[in-house]
Amino acid sequence: MASIRLEKLRKEFGELVAVEGLDLKVADGQFAALLGPSGCGKTTTMNMIAGLEVPTSGDVYFDERRMTDVPPGKRGVGFVFQNYAIFTHMSVYENLGFGLKVRGCPEAEMRRQVAKIAELLQIGPMLPMNAGRLSVNDMQKVALGRSMITNPGIFLLDEPFSNLDAAFRAYMRGELKRIQREVKQTMVYVTHDQIEAMSMADQIAVMSCGQLYQSGTPDEVYNRPVNIFVARFIGSPNMNFVRCTYQAEDGRGFLAQKNGDARLPVDDRRRRLLEERRGSPDLILGIRPEHLHVHPQETPATLWRGVAYAMEPLGPKTIVHVQVGRDVVQVIAPADYRPRVGEPQALAFDLEYMHIFDGSSQDVIR
Amino acid sequence: MANLRLDNVTKRFGRVEAVKRLALDIRDGEFFCVLGPPGAGKTTTLRLIVGLERPDEGTVYIDGEPVNDVHPGRRDIAMVFQNLALYPDKTVFDNIAYPLRERGMSKQEIERQVTAVAKKLYIDQLLQRKPAKLSGGERQRVAIGRAIVRQPRAYLMDEPLANLDALLRLEMRVELKRLQGELGQTLVYVTHDQVEAMSMADRIAVLNLGVLQQCDPPDAIYNLPANRFVATAVGSPPTNFIPAEVRPQDGGLAIRHPAFTLSAEGSRHPLRLALESRGDLTAPVLVGVRPEDVRVAVSSSDAYCVPAQVSVIEPLGGETIVDLRLGPDLIKAVVPPTQRLEESRPVWLAFEAGRMHLFDSASGARLYSTSQLGELACRGHENP
Amino acid sequence: MAKPGIWRAALRYVLIIIVVGVFTFPTYWMVTMAFKPRAEWSTAAGTIYWVPQNPTLENFATVLTEYQGQFFRANQSSAVPSIRSSIIVSVGGTLFALLLGTLAAYGLSRFTLETGDLPWYIALGRLGALVVVLLPFMVLWAYLGIIRYWYGIVTFTFLGIAADQLIGRLLARYYKGPAGSLAFSILQLRMFPPMAILIPLMIMWSAFRLVDTWYGLVAVYGVVTFPFVVWLMKSFFDEVPRELDEAAIVDGSSNWGAFIKVVLPLVKGGLASTALFVFILNWSDFLVALLLTNRDWPTIPVFLNTLVSSEIGAQHGPKAALGLLAVIPPVVFGLIIQRYLVRGLTFGAIKK
Repeated sequence: MASIRLEKLRKEFGELVAVEGLDLKVADGQFAALLGPSGCGKTTTMNMIAGLEVPTSGDVYFDERRMTDVPPGKRGVGFVFQNYAIFTHMSVYENLGFGLKVRGCPEAEMRRQVAKIAELLQIGPMLPMNAGRLSVNDMQKVALGRSMITNPGIFLLDEPFSNLDAAFRAYMRGELKRIQREVKQTMVYVTHDQIEAMSMADQIAVMSCGQLYQSGTPDEVYNRPVNIFVARFIGSPNMNFVRCTYQAEDGRGFLAQKNGDARLPVDDRRRRLLEERRGSPDLILGIRPEHLHVHPQETPATLWRGVAYAMEPLGPKTIVHVQVGRDVVQVIAPADYRPRVGEPQALAFDLEYMHIFDGSSQDVIR
Repeated sequence: MANLRLDNVTKRFGRVEAVKRLALDIRDGEFFCVLGPPGAGKTTTLRLIVGLERPDEGTVYIDGEPVNDVHPGRRDIAMVFQNLALYPDKTVFDNIAYPLRERGMSKQEIERQVTAVAKKLYIDQLLQRKPAKLSGGERQRVAIGRAIVRQPRAYLMDEPLANLDALLRLEMRVELKRLQGELGQTLVYVTHDQVEAMSMADRIAVLNLGVLQQCDPPDAIYNLPANRFVATAVGSPPTNFIPAEVRPQDGGLAIRHPAFTLSAEGSRHPLRLALESRGDLTAPVLVGVRPEDVRVAVSSSDAYCVPAQVSVIEPLGGETIVDLRLGPDLIKAVVPPTQRLEESRPVWLAFEAGRMHLFDSASGARLYSTSQLGELACRGHENP
Repeated sequence: MAKPGIWRAALRYVLIIIVVGVFTFPTYWMVTMAFKPRAEWSTAAGTIYWVPQNPTLENFATVLTEYQGQFFRANQSSAVPSIRSSIIVSVGGTLFALLLGTLAAYGLSRFTLETGDLPWYIALGRLGALVVVLLPFMVLWAYLGIIRYWYGIVTFTFLGIAADQLIGRLLARYYKGPAGSLAFSILQLRMFPPMAILIPLMIMWSAFRLVDTWYGLVAVYGVVTFPFVVWLMKSFFDEVPRELDEAAIVDGSSNWGAFIKVVLPLVKGGLASTALFVFILNWSDFLVALLLTNRDWPTIPVFLNTLVSSEIGAQHGPKAALGLLAVIPPVVFGLIIQRYLVRGLTFGAIKK
């Protein structure tokens, strides 16, 4: 069990800067996720933590010990990859025990450890079976167990569930989190799927184009994103973004839609922020679909009027796409709300959950 | 406009039966989804309809005519392949124009039709490019353009959005639904993504290993799944299945789990009839309840009477998934993000009474739904 | 690090130069010989002329015009007819093999047989069985004296086909082992050295009066290079995803239309490289041409052979000149089709 600290980590491949000035701290026993689209540098970062890549500059520390020059074999790091590297000609028991056997572990001890891991992963009955005959899902569990059994201080996982079916992925998210809580291993999990990161991680590091944009708890990255990229990347369905400018009228502040006539009143705190700031006059309003409410008729809470553009029934809820001016926003509505395309809609806002972003720098103003 | 029908169609590849006695009746103008995991036979079904495969048994009908022996090019059905199959050495214009040229249309007419379709799909600026120089979304639209340009009586699409990134997929979903609404033709859409199926389809056919599980509108699939497979296939996180025993109790029946009991009073309760229909009244059952129909409270009350313990919490931002230990079993519940719960703490659950199902343990078939046949009284046990 | 590294690199370069030198020396020698006057041909005088001292074009003149050849086979004294013969025969053979082979390759690529392919050892066994069965008939035919006549050959051929059919059917019914690959079996045809069947071939061809004709030679070349074409083109066709054929079919093309309009344009590069390969094979063939041509249609290799005569001695200069000239058509052909040898023609068609 070890803490990880990355200090100004930088990696160049010729002219391409894959990772730029990354600073990150993962506490001992914490579950951290590196989240971002493909090509954002998350796998490169993980490889640098593992020692598979040497940083161009910057340092990697485990428990405050400098690891940058230590070869991967000596770092005490365990891996799980996408393609479940297990030995298909051996039994599950032999697979799990392999790491211990290689280290010369006595038979009785090995049996005990394998049993413990199998119990943890709920694959006990499969121990005598040939690993090649397992389903893809179970194979991944064995791969997980094989890496875990040697008790590495740090565990690195690179999109291990992306090849598995949706139902099993949902199941494994909970399982992995539960296992991590029990064994208290420091885990670094690389993924492009924000649901995985949100559901499992204590700390999420959102990356894009080699840069770390924000690192925080799921609550922080979801409710207090620092820029539009993080705000859009996290959460499904995505946050709505509407281009606006600021207007002052009779001592009150408004956000005026650029692609239409809609207006949104802002409270005093935000009014002061917007009037005192320096920066681009272009603003972007961000609000999540669950913080909008839609009705067929106007209510006292109605702030915007629009027309139903599309409707997606999803079972427990419905997503309604409402066209306001030339923008389209998505709203979450109850499962039985089924407007027809073209019907007028009235929108109400949970204004405290609104975000305002600078239109050119894309950073949040809040 | 076309009505497509598969009548007990079976297709074998070597010894494997890809599709087993499949019977589908797709209505005119419908947005029809075929949903299932990889290997379920969805692509085979599509290929049987378009004519690239010939049924070993059974007949395919289009508008009432049997078409088993009709060449694919003459069935007037267009298909968008899973990997698009754009002609790489031809421009976008030539790709879209290909089917029209095969029909011997005049040059001016082709010009007119192709530009019209390109405009509708917002690719009219790309007509002179070759597929290699297009983005994923643009290639998608070229493939769709090639399909719709000849105005066939039905379209088939094989997982067209599978390889697009998440954002583009969401956009294209809405666009496709709108397009189908505008064009009004029958669309048969194959996918393994249940969100796509639920959000776009008029009706969904759920397939598993070549066998049709259920064919119904999305609401029915979601609320009244025919069996365990369908209940798992749709909805995320998937339905919880809680093993329980059936025991007689005071003249009625009790569904017993270490943590709770569901009771049906009286000797003629519909539950008794439903359970008896499978032959063995007291064979084990699975209680099926969706995570969003499980409510969690930190203290017990009349409604929240089922004891459980929080295992881990998965915060998704817009909602939170709670992993719970219910006696010896693990289930999940979906709670609002505002509800704060702590891991490893005891909690009390309430199940949405009108949204519970009972499935047969052995066959997986749905035996009873509280929405259809009446609610069951739920009582928690203090010490499971 | 510096010293041993430098020596190693130097050694590497020296070795490379030696090996390259050994392999390019014959070409160099031929090129220089083509321009050497008669006096510089031979090394009998003790000097070796590495570079022609008095370069001349007389060798080319000699070989392209009439000269007093006293070798009874070389009826024409200029090389020009042989150049013409080579071109006709090589191009003809290439076209023949390409046409048949490409169609066959497409069939093998797209339409797999579920049953019916035999593994190579069974195929060889079948051949052996055929030979054993036909041997007595061969003896009989010879005894009857009809093996030299066309009707003898034709009837024997039909007999052979019938025997083969019988053996094939018996095998199909009783062989239950693993399946082979029809494509590989076709390639195996070429692993059989043509030399082994050349004598019977010559006999057959003379019986059918195909000797010393261009079409006789084209037929042999076509058949002998057919397996290469099949094997090469099949791999190119395999690279074109089957969905493209299917998309064309769904769009309204027939199978043939899909082949011509969609698939064939995509293997242009493969077709070009296969054509070049086969052309070079045909162009440089000596043995088959030697046996199957006489006065009217000798090809360049055959003609080159006649430039040795016991009267005037070995004609090194003209030989080298003709050799140099003979290199030109394949090189020109290669340059012409070079722009078709482009890889990655299917990029963008299929998403991965």
